Amino acid sequence: MIRRLVITLVATLVVIGGVFTANLVAGYKPSLGLDLQGGASVTLTPVGDFDDAALTVAVEIIRQRVDSIGVAEPEIVRQGDAVVVNLPGVKDQQRALELVGRSGSVEMRPVIQMAENPDATPSTTAAPGATTTTTGAATSTTLAEPAGGVGSARRVATPVTTVPAAENVDPNTGLPPGQTVLPGRDDGMLYLVGPAEATGEVFSNDSSAQIDAGSWVVVAQLRKGADGEGLWNALATKCYNGGADCPTKAIAIVLDGEVISAPVVQEPTFTGGSVQISGSFTERDAKDLAKILQFGAVPVKFDIPTVQTVSATLGSDSLRAAIIAGLIGVLLVMIFLIFYYRIMALVAVGGLVLSGMLLWSAISWLSKTNGLALTLSGTAGIIISIGVTVDTYVVFFEKLKDDVGKGRSMRNSAVRGFNSAWKTIMTANFVSLLAAVILWWLTVGSVRGFAFFMGLATVVGMIISYFYTRPAVILLSRTKMMNKGHLFGVGVSQSNEGSGS
Amino acid sequence: MSTRAQRLYRGETTIDFYGRRKRLFVFSGFLLVMLLGSLLVQGLNLGIDFKGGVSFEVQTNKTLTSDKAREILTSLEIPSEGAKIQFLTSSEGERIRIQLGALEESVRLKVQTALADEVKLKAEDVSVATVSSSWGRNLTQQALIALLVFFAFVILFISIRFESRMAFSAIAAVVHDIGISVGVYSLLQLEVTPATVVAFLTIMGYSLYDTIVVYDKVQENVARFSGSKVSYGNILNVSTNQVLMRSLNTSISSVLPVLSLLVVGSWILGARALEEFAIALLVGLITGAYSSIYIAVPILGMLKERTPVWSGMRGELALKDEMAHLMNVGAPVGRRAKRSSEGVVEEVGAIAPMEAILSHPPRPRKKTRR
Repeated sequence: MIRRLVITLVATLVVIGGVFTANLVAGYKPSLGLDLQGGASVTLTPVGDFDDAALTVAVEIIRQRVDSIGVAEPEIVRQGDAVVVNLPGVKDQQRALELVGRSGSVEMRPVIQMAENPDATPSTTAAPGATTTTTGAATSTTLAEPAGGVGSARRVATPVTTVPAAENVDPNTGLPPGQTVLPGRDDGMLYLVGPAEATGEVFSNDSSAQIDAGSWVVVAQLRKGADGEGLWNALATKCYNGGADCPTKAIAIVLDGEVISAPVVQEPTFTGGSVQISGSFTERDAKDLAKILQFGAVPVKFDIPTVQTVSATLGSDSLRAAIIAGLIGVLLVMIFLIFYYRIMALVAVGGLVLSGMLLWSAISWLSKTNGLALTLSGTAGIIISIGVTVDTYVVFFEKLKDDVGKGRSMRNSAVRGFNSAWKTIMTANFVSLLAAVILWWLTVGSVRGFAFFMGLATVVGMIISYFYTRPAVILLSRTKMMNKGHLFGVGVSQSNEGSGS
Repeated sequence: MSTRAQRLYRGETTIDFYGRRKRLFVFSGFLLVMLLGSLLVQGLNLGIDFKGGVSFEVQTNKTLTSDKAREILTSLEIPSEGAKIQFLTSSEGERIRIQLGALEESVRLKVQTALADEVKLKAEDVSVATVSSSWGRNLTQQALIALLVFFAFVILFISIRFESRMAFSAIAAVVHDIGISVGVYSLLQLEVTPATVVAFLTIMGYSLYDTIVVYDKVQENVARFSGSKVSYGNILNVSTNQVLMRSLNTSISSVLPVLSLLVVGSWILGARALEEFAIALLVGLITGAYSSIYIAVPILGMLKERTPVWSGMRGELALKDEMAHLMNVGAPVGRRAKRSSEGVVEEVGAIAPMEAILSHPPRPRKKTRR
């Protein structure tokens, strides 16, 4: 029994100490939320009809947009239906709105000309090797689907036209109205495209990436009627004929001013109701494109209910205040405990320190791996949890005092006391945890951050009380010192004094 | 006899909580009516997160006074009557916070630039928050849904872990706490922000936590007294007195950090974002501790005394030394002792503990034969 307790205690100390130092050595630190660091935060709520999958895609698209701008450690989280975009370091509200608030609709535009993009960075120019191959249009113009004649649009990039960029593509001059030059997303190309003649809404939202004849293709279903098939086929016919409007015979699929893909049309009309886009897609390419088409089919419109910018000085002021206040609070609690429970309180003080170390490690680790950020309300949540953590000791010590007061020995009381206190603590903490989980689950923004940290602190508190407090108190109660008398602040109860000894 | 403080320290108080329930209910009821009256008359001071609008905040210098700020607003053709201008003092000087109704994007930019020019800083040093009015409604709605779901789960949990009457009275205490806290917010016209909503939700957690600790004791005592005829009111009194010290200590331990947040963090260091939070929590902590003992427990008692098991002993309350006897011995004072004088009771109380307390339940018979 004693051996086991000693092992538990030592193991706990070693593990917590180890985790803590590991975090220190690895240089993991809690990353700070916007309100502590300064930056812009935009909340988006979808308006009108939207479906869940489209929202997921929309979030991903926003993420890509933000990533491409190079904001350090952006945080884009979906909270229920709302999307919260936190952009640390972005101080200008206007810029934040531009980044996040664009409508993000998918357009279909005829491609007039294509060229290598001279500005393309090495990483993007690496892509064409992977994605552009083959004019082998002969393969697969049909899709093995019972529905019947299926049109196929085959993506052909480089081989069709390779015109030196500088000569022909000039974004500023000589473009007829509606025409514009857009960069390709990954292929290092520039596209001169005509006006948008259809949107992603020509497709229904079940586009999918599939394997056809050993390679990845994207299959999209056309919506029935003039708004779907009608629009698409008009564009397809035009491009198939390769007139002046669409000499390359390719249709550019454009999102956010980037050409995602520019497949060459293989059939004048797509009678089968579905479109197959093939090319040398990797699995990821195909899935990305399918996702974008899904999103384009049901574009999610966002309302922006809150935009918030916090200046960095305001943030650091609040942080400093919260930390100082927290430390003073903890110190006061420790003094109170020592005053009240004397030697036993040292266990509680040690427990608070250990909780702090474990919590710090957990937050640092989560910051590093999951992009968790410590916010002001989160800090408040932690400070509040101090009270709950201390309560585990108070419940336990009161139980002990009670038993010792009635004439039991310390040794005896410690084990009994813990078991009964643990039951109470579990029950009460369960409710705290329940509150944290429900708040986290059902709310957005600061409430959610608060709930998360309160929950985390509660869990840490329970771990500490079982793996540290229990062995520590039981072992301490076995020392001679503790059984001598008033060190615990417990006299033997008056009513028992006469008969007790 | 020892002093009251000593007895409190040893957990030997014999306060008749249950017997005083009517007075306590009147007190709580009066408080609630008064605060809710204020809520009806004055309403709540909703922050821009609930009303919608734009808030600017920037470091001030001597020249940017409240009048000057209004002047800037007027020059931009924004009615300055509706503007709320606050000064926040911190260790690093003073900040001004200006809250306006909804603004056009371009106007917002102008205000931001004008304020920045006034204090000779860059426009980006002005913190700006824009909130649409639908957001606040949304937030309130979410919080209410969260609240209802939470209540449902808590009722379920307490009903399973304890019993349904306890669930009901615990929720009654929580409703009391939230009522009081909202009322205090209305009375003092404190600004309601999302942080306040967080705080109110935390209050419930606390209040329930406290209540559950008391109920755990009650349940333990019901089992302890199951052999003898002890009224539910007595059990409640004994339990409450037993956990009194814990309640006090935990409340002090919980209040200290929050107080530090309020006094040190907010007032001395000037992080006003913490203030609203801290006040709500402070009020909530105090009412939470109060209600778990003065609301949750008496309501439970009244509900339980209606049930057939306990109704027979309704109203029987052992006071003072008799209560002490109950607490220490785990059995009611015997008839003989009751009839005799006070002194004798004390003696019984003094001798009885050893055999009573150290009597574990009998060891179960060993199943296997030796």
